[in-house]
Amino acid sequence: MTATVTTPGARRARVLSKRAVLPWVFLAPGLLLALVFKFLPMGKGVWLSFFKVRPFLGDKWVGLDNYTRVLTDHRFQDAIGHTLLLGIGMSLGGIVVGFVLALLLEGQTRSLKIVRAAVFLPVVTATAVVGEMWRLLYYPTSDGLINHGLSFLGIGPTPFLDNPNTALWATMVMSIWMLAPYNMVIILAGLAGVDRTLYEAAAMDGVSLWQRLRYVTLPAIRPALGIVLTLAAIRGLRVFTEVYVLTGGGPAGSTEVWMTRAYTLGFTRNDIGGASAASVVLLCVTLLLTVTVNYFRTRGDAR
Amino acid sequence: MGDRRRRRRLTAVATVAGLMFGAAACGSGSDSAGGGDPNTLEVWTRSNPDSAATYDRVFAAFTKKTGIKIDYQPVINFDQQLQSRASTKDLPDVMINDTALMGSYQSQGLLKPIAADSITGSDRITDKTWSTTVGIDGKHYGIPYSRQAQTLMIRKDWLKKLGLKAPTTWQEMLTVAQAFATEDPDGDGKADTYGIVAPGSAQNGYAAWWGASFLWQGGAKIIEKDGDGYRPTMDSAAAVNTVTWMKNNLFCGKKNVLQPGAITAVTSTATNFQDGNAGMYMTGPYNITTFDATPGKDKYEVVPAPAGPAGSDVLADGENIYFGARTGKTKQEQALAAFLVSAGGQKIAMTSVDGHQPVVRIPVNSTLDAAKVRDDARWSVVQKAYEDTSEQFPNAPDFAPIKQDTADALNAIFTYCGSDVSSSLKELNDTLAGDLKDQDLLK
Repeated sequence: MTATVTTPGARRARVLSKRAVLPWVFLAPGLLLALVFKFLPMGKGVWLSFFKVRPFLGDKWVGLDNYTRVLTDHRFQDAIGHTLLLGIGMSLGGIVVGFVLALLLEGQTRSLKIVRAAVFLPVVTATAVVGEMWRLLYYPTSDGLINHGLSFLGIGPTPFLDNPNTALWATMVMSIWMLAPYNMVIILAGLAGVDRTLYEAAAMDGVSLWQRLRYVTLPAIRPALGIVLTLAAIRGLRVFTEVYVLTGGGPAGSTEVWMTRAYTLGFTRNDIGGASAASVVLLCVTLLLTVTVNYFRTRGDAR
Repeated sequence: MGDRRRRRRLTAVATVAGLMFGAAACGSGSDSAGGGDPNTLEVWTRSNPDSAATYDRVFAAFTKKTGIKIDYQPVINFDQQLQSRASTKDLPDVMINDTALMGSYQSQGLLKPIAADSITGSDRITDKTWSTTVGIDGKHYGIPYSRQAQTLMIRKDWLKKLGLKAPTTWQEMLTVAQAFATEDPDGDGKADTYGIVAPGSAQNGYAAWWGASFLWQGGAKIIEKDGDGYRPTMDSAAAVNTVTWMKNNLFCGKKNVLQPGAITAVTSTATNFQDGNAGMYMTGPYNITTFDATPGKDKYEVVPAPAGPAGSDVLADGENIYFGARTGKTKQEQALAAFLVSAGGQKIAMTSVDGHQPVVRIPVNSTLDAAKVRDDARWSVVQKAYEDTSEQFPNAPDFAPIKQDTADALNAIFTYCGSDVSSSLKELNDTLAGDLKDQDLLK
C-alpha cells in the first residue's frame, strides 16, 4: 500500500526538489488514516444529513428538512440548555480543579510522583467503568459511599441521580473528576516553565499568595491555559459518554444533552438523516467556538 | 519564491491524489465473499458468545441433516451492522432477531414476504403466534421462532417468613411489596429490602417495556388498529387510571416499595432481585437461568403476573426468523426455517449444554411443552401466560419510535410526582399521532 501512496510523488521527484516531497511522504500515513477514518466519514455524515436515509431502498433527498426537524424539536431545544450548562460547568470546573491540583502537586519528590500518577488514573479509565463506579458512589441509600458520608453530617440520603433537579449537577461533578487531572498535566507542564527567579523576586517584595498567583503564576502559564481552554471548547459541547453511562439522559430528560438526543434519534428511532443533521449542527457550533477561543488567544498573545 | 510555493502545492495535490487512490484500492479489496456458494447460508443472530454456543449446536444439527452449510455470525450490535450491510445491498440470507423489529425492517424493505404454507411444519405453529408476523400489507414477513411472556419472580422464602401468599391482584402485590420493604424479610435487622424491581429509565424504551404489562392489565393500549391504519389511545380513561395507579403506588408511593434508583434503572443495573435485596420482579423467563444461580433456585418461585382491573395480560415478545430481501436462496432458507421450527430443532435450542443460555424460551411448535422439554415445572407458568394471557406490541408498524416516546412520557410522569397524568398522557397521545403520521398510518 505504501508503494501505491508514494508512486505519484516519486514520479514527480525528477521535476520537483526532493525537499518538497519529503515532508508529505512522512505525513502520508497519518494523512491516509485521517482521511479514511475522519474526513471521509465526516463528509459522508454531512452528505447524509440532507437525506431520508434508507440504506436498502436508496436514500431520498429531503434538502434541509432534517435540519428544520431537529431545530424545531422541543426535546433538542431542551437539550441545548443542558448541553451548555454541562459543557461550560465541566470545562470551567475542570480547569479550576486542574489548576488547584497542579499547584498542590507540583514538584520533583517521589511521593508527589506517586500521587500525581494516582490522580491521573481517572483519565485513563474507561468512561463506562467510571460511570458504573459513580453510580455506586451516588447510590441513593446509605449504602452509597457519598450518602454514607453525608449521614455522618446528619444529612439524609439524597437521590442524586433520580432527582431531576440534581442529576445534571451530579453528572457535572463526575465529568470534572474525569477531566481535571488531564488539565492538571498540561498546567503542570506550564508551571515547570515558570522562571523561579520571579518567585524569589516576588517573595523579596513581600507579595501575598493571591498576588503571586495573579501577577506571576497565571501570566506565566497563559499558553498552557490557552491549550486547556481550546480543548475545553472542542470537547465541552460534544459530551456524550458521561451522560449515557450515568443517567441515559434521564430522569424525565433532565440530563438529556445534544449528543444523547442525536444518538437516540439515530439508533433507537432509526433516523440516521436526522441524527446526521444534529451532528453537523454541533460540528458547526464547535468550530465557531474553537475559532473564537483561538482568536481571543492569539489576540491576547500578540498584546 | 512564488514558483517554489506553486511547486509545493502541486506536490501536495499529487500526494493527496495518491492517498485517495490508495484508499480506493483498499476499499475494493475488502468486498465480502458472502453470497457466492448457493449451498451456504449466511445466518445472523443477535447473540452474545453464550447464546451463540447454543446456536452453533442448532446449525451443526441442521447441516448434518440437510447438507446445507451455515456461515453463522453472532452479532451483538445487530442493527448497526445490518444497516451497513444494507447499504451494500447484500443482506444476510437469514436473520433471527426480536419480534418488535419486524415493522421497522419491513418498512426499510429489508425482508422477503413469506407464505406460511411454504414452510414445512408451519401448521404446528398456532394461529395466535402466526398472527404476530403479519406486516402492514397483510403478508407475513417473519416466521415465529421463540416466544416468551412476562411472569412474576417472587422470593418464596420471604413470603414464608412473613406468612404471606404470592399476590394475585395489584392490591395484594402492593401489600406484599410493603411487607417486604418494612418487615425485614431477610432477618438482618436492617431496613435494606425492597418490594418490587422496576427498570423505569426511558433509555432504550425500558419504561414502556416494563410498564406495558401494567397497561394491558389496566385495559389500556398504546396504539390500536383502526381500519387499515392505527390511532394512539394513551389518552383513554383506562390509560390515565393505570398510569396514575403506577405513579401513586409504585414510583411516588411508600418508601422502598420500589428499589432505590428505579427511575434511572435499566435492566442491566436493576439487579436487586439477583442481589437478594428485592422480593419481586416482573420480567422475562430468560432470567430464570440467572436467578437460579443467585438468589438461588430454592429461594424464589415463578408465578403468573397479578391481575389488574382488566385482567392479567402481560407483555409477550420473542424472536422471529427473517429472510433477507433479494438473496436468491429461498429454497435453502425455507429448509432452514422448517428445521428451526420443527420439534427436533426447537428442542436442541431449548436445552442448555455446558451451562450455555438456551435460545428458544417458549417453543412456537405447539407439539412441545416447555416444562417437559426442560424438565422444569416453572416453565409451564410461562407457557400458560404466553398462551392464555399475553399480548405483544403491535408488530406491523415501526414500533421503535412509539415505544421510545411512550417510555419518555412515562418516565417523566413517574419522576415528577406532582405532575398531571391526564394532560401528560394527552401530550403523549399527540406525539404518538405524529409518529404514526410519519409512517402514513394515522387514522
